[in-house]
Amino acid sequence: MTDEVSQSYSDTKLLRISLTNQTVKQQELTPELFTYYLGGRGLGVKLVYDQVIPAVSPLAPENLLVFAIGPLTASAAPTGGRVAVITKSPLTGTIFDSNCGGHFGPQLRRAGFAALVLQGRAKSPTYLWINDRDVEFRSAKDVWGQEVSPSTDYLLDETNAKAQVACIGPGGENRVHLASIMNDKHRAAGRGGVGAVMGAKHLKAIVIHGTKQISINDPEKLDVVVNRTRRLIKKDSITNNSLPVYGTAVLVNLINEYGMLPTHNFQEGTFNDAEGVSGEKLLERFFTKRYHCFGCPIGCGRISQVQGTEIGGPEYETIWALGPQCGINDLEWITTANHRCNELGLDTISVGSTIGCAMELVQKGYLQSTHEFGNTAELLNLIDDIAHARGLGKELGQGSKDLATRYNAPQLAMQVKGLEMPAYDPRGVQGHALAYATSNRGGCHLRAYLIGPEILGSPVLVDRDRVEGKAGLVILFQNLSAAMDSLVLCRFTTFAFGVEDYADLLSAATSLTISGKEFLKIGERIWTLERLFNIREGFSAKDDCLPPRFSTPLPEGGSRNRVSHLEEMLPDYYRLRGWDETGQPTKSCLKQLNL
Amino acid sequence: MSLTVEELVKFIDHTRLKPETKRAKILELCEEALAYEFATVCINPVHVEYATDLLKNSSVDVCVVVGFPLGATLSEVKAFEVKQAVQKGATEVDMVINIGALKDKNYDLVQSDIEAVVSAADDAIVKVILETGFLIDEEKQKACLICKDAGAHFVKTSTGFGPMGATPYDVQLMRETVGPDMGVKAAGGIRSFKDALRMIDAGANRLGTSSGVAIVEGFRWAGYSDTFLEPDKPCWTCPSRQASLGKQPKEVYLWYKQRCVTCPHRDQNVFND
Repeated sequence: MTDEVSQSYSDTKLLRISLTNQTVKQQELTPELFTYYLGGRGLGVKLVYDQVIPAVSPLAPENLLVFAIGPLTASAAPTGGRVAVITKSPLTGTIFDSNCGGHFGPQLRRAGFAALVLQGRAKSPTYLWINDRDVEFRSAKDVWGQEVSPSTDYLLDETNAKAQVACIGPGGENRVHLASIMNDKHRAAGRGGVGAVMGAKHLKAIVIHGTKQISINDPEKLDVVVNRTRRLIKKDSITNNSLPVYGTAVLVNLINEYGMLPTHNFQEGTFNDAEGVSGEKLLERFFTKRYHCFGCPIGCGRISQVQGTEIGGPEYETIWALGPQCGINDLEWITTANHRCNELGLDTISVGSTIGCAMELVQKGYLQSTHEFGNTAELLNLIDDIAHARGLGKELGQGSKDLATRYNAPQLAMQVKGLEMPAYDPRGVQGHALAYATSNRGGCHLRAYLIGPEILGSPVLVDRDRVEGKAGLVILFQNLSAAMDSLVLCRFTTFAFGVEDYADLLSAATSLTISGKEFLKIGERIWTLERLFNIREGFSAKDDCLPPRFSTPLPEGGSRNRVSHLEEMLPDYYRLRGWDETGQPTKSCLKQLNL
Repeated sequence: MSLTVEELVKFIDHTRLKPETKRAKILELCEEALAYEFATVCINPVHVEYATDLLKNSSVDVCVVVGFPLGATLSEVKAFEVKQAVQKGATEVDMVINIGALKDKNYDLVQSDIEAVVSAADDAIVKVILETGFLIDEEKQKACLICKDAGAHFVKTSTGFGPMGATPYDVQLMRETVGPDMGVKAAGGIRSFKDALRMIDAGANRLGTSSGVAIVEGFRWAGYSDTFLEPDKPCWTCPSRQASLGKQPKEVYLWYKQRCVTCPHRDQNVFND
């Protein structure tokens, strides 16, 4: 790896924004930051690690909120339109990066910024208007309290119709721990309560319009690599067929077949009415057109229509969370509820999963309420109440861990480190179970998507029941994901690309000549730094765990009789990471990573 | 097994045999074959001139299928089809054996059918597709010996349109039957680099697949984790798992399932994943 730094990417700046003082300051993106952390998630993690004081309250002004793009953002690289949002999460207390599609990222890069580093708290509701490198603090009093679509429309009217808006809804304004940040009205930096951090800073929105041409280190070389990688996307059946035709909802029937579609708050792994909430049914009933994020040849996004209302989504995870997780088989209702979550600025996964948790609390007699499994009555109102922190909704808005603990049944919260687990029962996929448990941001399927090799056969099918070798595989995908999130490219490219393809794209776009193994090393550094942050915040090996439910066998379906064997894999995982048995990175590990 | 990408590509017949194939797909197939330097492109005869033109002066050969996919045409027709294909540029020919005659034990007819094609093929390489999914082991072995006697250069497992794809079990059986000097081509259902490596390990020296690009690209992942190459559950690759009463004659289906009765891995056959 050469130390030479791309002039193209390093001429973007870090923009430090004090909301308290309404001041901005531009800083160089140093060679060290670029070569060791690239951009996006890596850059944000490094900034938050270095500049957030330990044990800070996530909703305090001192917490940082970073929006970061990467060296491939706005380039011709496939899916180079994403932006990473990094902060300390109010939901988990861990470091947190939430990744968002849409079109916001490219505008940020074209405005000349590698990252917006937000600190402090505005005295009153504010939005930022960034017009290339001009930054204005504007009053958001006219949109504070408004939902996402009217807010977006208003802000575009007030600024420039060609701008992009990242905003919060009532969920973020009310500092709900499940609040997301929305772009393009229905693309979300959804998880971890990043919207609450924004709301706590009294920041309603960032509106950005960037017009500069980005420069690429070697355009001809990039053309070659882009053509190759686009061809790979066209050759892969997942990226060329399944995702464009059905969206991510293609997974509903498949995961149900495997007996891993969590149902009734993970009490079962098969949902009798899966067909009715499947991607196939979505295509037949509500689909109107595909949605492409910037630079994406896949187009997995859905635009649906329900009773005359155009709705973005729903995604697989959303269908599951608001559907089978709650015992609900009404796809029309799920699509509508998805829309309400988008408008209110709420994370559909955590909202659905927390409602499912509440329903099991009701089922088991811990909580008195009419919200029973399968019952949609008053559920849209409950979602509204979550966003506005009212009544029972206020309790749900703190997430399932808090809710279940409050009602003396912490074992009923299906979460890791406070983050609700997504739509794959870990009992049916041992590697994925390890990925959940060791994820630095809590129960997440995207830190290492082992569903690829364990279920989808991408890049090759491995035995989902084996525990041997899974630690190494999880580490490979965790490192790759961390590096990829720092470019910033979409996770779905891994179905089609190999490790070298990411390195080749990076090498062509910048002058950082890099191999696949060196690219993974950057990912490892980012991953380890996230771990260090969490350790500093009091997390330890005891937090690398799964809810006790996953030690009891699934009763039926394609994963019947299976349990998670996490304890057999964790020692291997720590050893291969170069960590000690308590999950702490060793000195030699840190030295090797220049940490 | 230590195998480089450069070696792996030379095992692959980059294949496109779907009936709806348009010229644009043949162009794409040939471009990929050139880029990856596969052994051949394997196509239906209607595309032979176009592919030959696209691949001229390259190391990639043109392979056409004959009597495909049923093998039930007259020997004269197969011979004519081969002659035409070779004249138009094919250097390899994959013919389908007369399966019905083989099942009838009419071995003379089976052999003369192959000999007609070998003769018409001139210097072109002839591979004979057995369509193993219709056969029991004894028939596969007999077919291999007939192919060898008839002067064919390869025996090949399947068309990809029949009841079963290639399995390491069949490839190994065929290799043991024909010996080291004759070719064995595995085809049908080879979609990943692990499938490919299994077949090579079992004795195949040519692979027919429409997933050549995915196999080569996927193979690069093997350098990052040994877990990708861990052995599978035995049933995953066993032909008895692929057996289907809906696609196979009843006696063949039952022959495959009977193998399960004495299989040492029977206890592991719990889930179908």
